[in-house]
Amino acid sequence: MTDTVTLTIDGHEVTVPKGTSLLHAAETLGTEVPHYCYHPGLTAPAQCRICLVEVEGAPKLQPSCVTMAQDGQVVHTDSPAAKRMRQGVLEFYLVNHPLDCPICDMSGECMLQDYVFDEGREKGRSREPKRVFGRDDFGGDVLYYGDRCVMCTRCVRFMDEVARDSRLTVVERGSRAVIDTFFDRGLEGASFAGNVVDICPVGALVSKDFLHKARAWDLDHTPSVCPNCSQGCNIELHTRDNLVQRLKPRENQEVNGHWMCDYGRANYEWMNRPGRLEEPAAGRGAKRRRVDWKSALEHLFVQLRAGVGAEVKVVGSAAASNEALAALAAVAGEAGEVSSRVFRSPRAADEVPLPGFPLLVRRHDLAPNVDGAGLLGFERTGDDEAKGGLEDVAGHDGVLFVLGDELADRNEDFGAAAGLYVYLGAFDSPAARNADYVLPVTTFAEEEGSFVNAQGRVQRYRQGLQSPGSARPAWLVLGALAAALGGHGTPATAADVFAGLVAAHAAFAGLTWDALGDRGAALRTEAVHG
Amino acid sequence: MSDARFRNPGWAGNTGEFDLTEADVRGSEFVGEQPLDGGHPGVAPSLPYMLVRKDPEAPLFEGPYLERFEKIRTRYPTARAALIPALNLAQELRGHVSPETMDEVAALLGLSDAFVRGVATFYTMYNKRPVGRFLIQVCTNISCNIRGADEVLAAFLEHTGTELGETSSDGDFTVAEAECLAACGFPTCVQINSRYFEDVSVEDVPEVLARLKREVNDGF
Repeated sequence: MTDTVTLTIDGHEVTVPKGTSLLHAAETLGTEVPHYCYHPGLTAPAQCRICLVEVEGAPKLQPSCVTMAQDGQVVHTDSPAAKRMRQGVLEFYLVNHPLDCPICDMSGECMLQDYVFDEGREKGRSREPKRVFGRDDFGGDVLYYGDRCVMCTRCVRFMDEVARDSRLTVVERGSRAVIDTFFDRGLEGASFAGNVVDICPVGALVSKDFLHKARAWDLDHTPSVCPNCSQGCNIELHTRDNLVQRLKPRENQEVNGHWMCDYGRANYEWMNRPGRLEEPAAGRGAKRRRVDWKSALEHLFVQLRAGVGAEVKVVGSAAASNEALAALAAVAGEAGEVSSRVFRSPRAADEVPLPGFPLLVRRHDLAPNVDGAGLLGFERTGDDEAKGGLEDVAGHDGVLFVLGDELADRNEDFGAAAGLYVYLGAFDSPAARNADYVLPVTTFAEEEGSFVNAQGRVQRYRQGLQSPGSARPAWLVLGALAAALGGHGTPATAADVFAGLVAAHAAFAGLTWDALGDRGAALRTEAVHG
Repeated sequence: MSDARFRNPGWAGNTGEFDLTEADVRGSEFVGEQPLDGGHPGVAPSLPYMLVRKDPEAPLFEGPYLERFEKIRTRYPTARAALIPALNLAQELRGHVSPETMDEVAALLGLSDAFVRGVATFYTMYNKRPVGRFLIQVCTNISCNIRGADEVLAAFLEHTGTELGETSSDGDFTVAEAECLAACGFPTCVQINSRYFEDVSVEDVPEVLARLKREVNDGF
């Protein structure tokens, strides 16, 4: 008994594990067999009939999504019979389709558009008027255009099998069939319903938030990690005009499968928040003046070196990258005796698991790098709304660093007694009034970096937006400062900072920037639990 | 009950070749008025007639109906499988399957409300709106169409004074169009409640309606 089978697809011999579908076997050869109802994260009902392929010896064409590869099979995905069949199926799909691509959000990433463009008939032969449904608001972020629907039932199966909340169904039958909920009960309150928009192969289910906002071909896609909770779902930032337009999940079977939660998906406007700190400034209160990076860092370096030995307190952030936090810890360590390293981070009262994919949970911690901050020696302070807990820091008379915490609950007295107060942030704050240096840093979407998620997995995110003014990644600013203070080479990239971090922190031992790639890598278990 | 009432056009199977009554064909115990509780739970699902009087407010389910529902439940391996007969029972009792009925049946079987709606709307034999005492379904598919089904349908609409799919003002008649009723040998076929009327022509329509009226007046 062997565990593999060898078959021929379109004249190429291919060996695949037993139990591989013809569709997947063809994929290993780089051949995409058209499909609608099949989705790798769902069961396959083989009802869309577009993935039929010719198998020699079989009396009829076979659905490649559920036909398992067998030894010696000879399969043709592109034979005249298969092509003619696909053309026929596509013609049926277009009988009632409104062809409203010019106003459809899916246009440009639509599987119906793609397949018809590739293989469809030039003109449909149907002469009857098309039936018209209009659109239906499903509640939540989901809008349904029945006329565009190809009845693949991916959305119904997602709600049944993955969300385990069977709120969607096929109502009526034949050409009157539409997807719907139970009358006006809708999808409100469902925590993962936004995924039905992602898996819809056509423009039937669209996001209200994204409705008519941008064309698919105008969006840049940047691999990233969802920064809205400590699960760290792998996502893509879709950006246009230097603004994040939407978040989409990116497949990673170790973390989020094909999915992400609605909370994370909807929470991106803060990445586009205007009113940023754009230029470095020095001087307290009324004496604050704009300076350039060179002089800001030189003066800061001189002051830090002169004050070595002072007591240092550090306020970090669970939204900051490992690289920024490690560089901050290094700078603080070089500057003097670090008496506290804290961060504040919001916590939700509940967790929201995805029943059909138990690895994916919207976690208690609503910040991406709580675990990374912990591993890098930062302690949580404050309450579940990320307020309070900075009383002893506020009146500290030594050196004070604040990174990425807007200090929204503190007033202008914060840091008044500090000998040296350095504020690194994307936004100004009343509590930064006494800062000797206000240094503009980039946000999550404008820099490269890595987070440690709640599973103890280190994951990289990439730069999707250009930073405003001369804002710099915090790891670049602090890495340069730490290098100057420590007398070693200045890091030029996030990879350099990460390499230094791995050398300095045993928890990260064995990891390299390249090995993290776009999928991340797990920390050694003893580092997480030890 | 006189046998003459069921002469052609009348019950299914009356080809005119044999001198048979409806009672001869269906068995006398199944003809005529049904007990209000729908009959013994063991045989009720196979009774040819649905309950004559519907109560849209009837509870789901009580008394003998509860007994029948529980019987249905034991005959099927899963709740999903029992859904169609459960909806049948609800419609037999209430006359139509309203959103509230779907919701209640879903709760009884532990199914999602959306799934029940999907099944109820898939099958045309579930009335999603209230219908008259007599639901007149005229087949307009090929065989019947060749024999003038469109005219028969028009005649029913004219004589009952209703629009297609609507209920007459006295609440007695709802006229609807049906796809093939599987009686292509005897076109035009008209299904009235659960009875088939075959070989119906335009001239027969007033007589059929008069007979139905008589049944109402006789209290069945």
